[in-house]
Amino acid sequence: MKKLLFLLIAALTVFFLAACTANEDAGKDPEEKEKVEEPAETGDTTDDETTMDEKVLRLNNSTEPSSLDPSIGFDAVSWDPLNNLMEGLTRLDKDHQAAEGVAEDWNITEDGLTYTFTLREDAKWSNGDPVVAADFEFAWKYMLNPETASAAAFLGYFIEGAEAYNSGEGSVDDVKVTAVDEKTLEVVLAQPTGFFLDVLTNPAFFPINHKVAEANPDWHTEAETYVGNGPFKLESWSHDEEMVFVKNEHYWDAATVKLDKVHFAMVNDSNTQYQMFEAGDLDTAGIPPELSDQLIEGDNVFIGPYGGLEFFRFNLEMEPFQNKKIRQAFSYAVNRDDIAQFVVKNGVEPAYGFINPGYTSPTGEDFRDVNGDLVGFDPDKAKQLLEEGMAEEGYDELPPITLSYNTSDTNKAVAEALHGMFNEHLGVEVTLENQEWNVFSEAQKALELQFSRSSFINDYNDPVNFLESFITDSYMNRTGFSSAEYDELIQKGKSATNEEERWQALYDAEKLLADEMIAIPIRYYNTVVLEADGIEGILRHPVGYFDLKYADKK
Amino acid sequence: MLKYILKKLLVMVLTLWIIITLTFVLMVSVPGSPFNSEGNSNEIVQQNLEKHYNLDKPLHVQYLLYLKSVATLDFGPSIKQPNQTVNDLLGRGFPISAELGFITIIVAVISGIILGILAALRHNGIIDYMAMGIAVLGISIPNFILATLLIQNLAVNWEIFPVATWKSPMHMVLPVFALATGPMAIIARLTRSTMLEVLTQDYIKMARAKGLTPWKIIVKHALRNALMPVITIMGTLLAGIMTGSFVIEQIFAIPGMGKYFVESINHRDFPVIMGTTVFYSAFLIVMLFLVDIAYGILDPRIKVTKKEGE
Repeated sequence: MKKLLFLLIAALTVFFLAACTANEDAGKDPEEKEKVEEPAETGDTTDDETTMDEKVLRLNNSTEPSSLDPSIGFDAVSWDPLNNLMEGLTRLDKDHQAAEGVAEDWNITEDGLTYTFTLREDAKWSNGDPVVAADFEFAWKYMLNPETASAAAFLGYFIEGAEAYNSGEGSVDDVKVTAVDEKTLEVVLAQPTGFFLDVLTNPAFFPINHKVAEANPDWHTEAETYVGNGPFKLESWSHDEEMVFVKNEHYWDAATVKLDKVHFAMVNDSNTQYQMFEAGDLDTAGIPPELSDQLIEGDNVFIGPYGGLEFFRFNLEMEPFQNKKIRQAFSYAVNRDDIAQFVVKNGVEPAYGFINPGYTSPTGEDFRDVNGDLVGFDPDKAKQLLEEGMAEEGYDELPPITLSYNTSDTNKAVAEALHGMFNEHLGVEVTLENQEWNVFSEAQKALELQFSRSSFINDYNDPVNFLESFITDSYMNRTGFSSAEYDELIQKGKSATNEEERWQALYDAEKLLADEMIAIPIRYYNTVVLEADGIEGILRHPVGYFDLKYADKK
Repeated sequence: MLKYILKKLLVMVLTLWIIITLTFVLMVSVPGSPFNSEGNSNEIVQQNLEKHYNLDKPLHVQYLLYLKSVATLDFGPSIKQPNQTVNDLLGRGFPISAELGFITIIVAVISGIILGILAALRHNGIIDYMAMGIAVLGISIPNFILATLLIQNLAVNWEIFPVATWKSPMHMVLPVFALATGPMAIIARLTRSTMLEVLTQDYIKMARAKGLTPWKIIVKHALRNALMPVITIMGTLLAGIMTGSFVIEQIFAIPGMGKYFVESINHRDFPVIMGTTVFYSAFLIVMLFLVDIAYGILDPRIKVTKKEGE
């Protein structure tokens, strides 16, 4: 036994030592190798060498895309890559307007219901197949199939028959998307939708090469089988690690594309990605919150609008927020400038309305400019409204109020600032409560929270996208708000065939929302990105996703 | 021995079943669903999603489906990444986490034991203070702070090592360093204290009296007993480190399986929660079993087979 033990320990020691030295060697190896190999390979294509002739952009996607199947991937981490691997009928142009994509032309009938798209003759898939109308019909019907369980399916409800099919009541044959011939697609809408061309830029409406998908339903899971029709194609994809895009020579507008390659890293730590940017491993990076004050003023910072709003919902079914004046009082007590400038920082804009700037009206003006400031900071008015509201309800003392938010440092800071403002300007002590996202979200949906944080990110480029949330019984309502007048305005804002009329309804709807004060707008979202020297032309659209088609690296 | 192992195996399966059941109960009793993204949605879409992932079925049916998935070792697709099955995720993530963990353990054990022995031999001397100073630092500095410091100094400022990702052995140095420091410190302190105890024992005096060289005394007589507590913690340490360190993997962008443990819970990604829990539990149970066996070999006083007869 003793000998055995000795042998065992000896063996272990040797093994450990061996492993240790092997490890040290391993650590040195590549360094030596690099030194040896570099001069030998100068003529060939080492990584450093290619960077000189080829234009390689290094980006961070932060995580693995949920899915590169355009019908399934319904989040920013999927949309950013998808928007560069594929193209829909329309594509957002440099002014963030829907312009020609795969469709070179379209015809809309007088009643605004029937769209006939003519596809480009030279639109091709990355495997050389022509992009045909049937690819769109296939993709959209696949997205709407209830068994596909696409989270984006509701965007397709603008199409006649889509909602019935997706809810399992209708048949696929009644979905009014028809490939008339190879290059003509006809779509009939459920009702006139002035912003339908904008909706079509969402990746949910991208085509799928139906021949490829029918042969292999898992075509989108690996780079080898992936077939796109965008400015880039997927060269390699090591899951959870890196994606590499190369220029797609089959793209109809390939002459415009300047980059040769794009690397998407998947680094999900704000400090690490910044350190990689510092070390030159990434060409763009986000600003870590702790460094915001130092970096935000730099020359290499891109700050642009991002279609979205942070706001706080009142629960109209809980005391004391059934009272409009009390709701208004809370809104007037909020100093949005201070919150934007000193609490959230990072160059965000305070929100004095619900709709972020950036939506151009039919008359060429910005929605926000036309409707102006709808809410404001006015402590005296706040106090007065609170007194009036309390008198209306017969309160001697305000019922206890709990302000809830989902756990995060920024949310906490904003909630604490609000707590201070309500205390200072209204003399009201609200209780703060934070919950994990999922718990919070369930409670908010079930109208169990009295006063809670919310955010909204646009899916498409039209003010109705946000405003529609608050129609009676909408899944996104979550306030208990219900107004026949508002519902009617939104109905008009969605389907009026006269664009100016449609926009007028939306202006009125936003005003009504602000007057009823069912939610306090706080600030708009923005995009803040550090860009290395020589990086140009990355189109960052306020709605959704970026476009590398025009990007360049000098 | 065979009977002992068989009995152990049976207990292991039972333990695993209890863990699965508890996990399931906890999983369904936590509020929230996998489809609560911050994005927009509507009821029909939510219903389709629930149906697609069998979440509309009664709980007992869901429970049986989970048991079936464990029995067949096929956990189905992840909900967050529907194109990937849980087996894909584990199959890809575990080898990377295991590689990182294995190297880390080796580094931690060797440096820990050496530090511990040096400290014990030079008890209350400068080496002792230095070694224990390092150990205290190792225990008290959280590895994510150490990791950030290492990156900032060695990667960004001095450019000796790459900042992050997992591509070459050079990429492994910083994460291994950051991850090994904690366990190393624990092992060093354990080794030191047991060595000190062992060195005062009569049989060591006896060995000295026999005129054995100090080297022989340490390796052959003292270390063997001093290693017992280290072996004790090895099982949990191995399972913990080899199945992924969420924080270190996130900081260094290492595509291991650590993130699935944590993020699957945040996302309520039920198949991934189940898959990772079962995997981790099974791994831990096996490790503890191996430690039991190792005891029997290292310490003649513990006789695993004889105990059965008592």
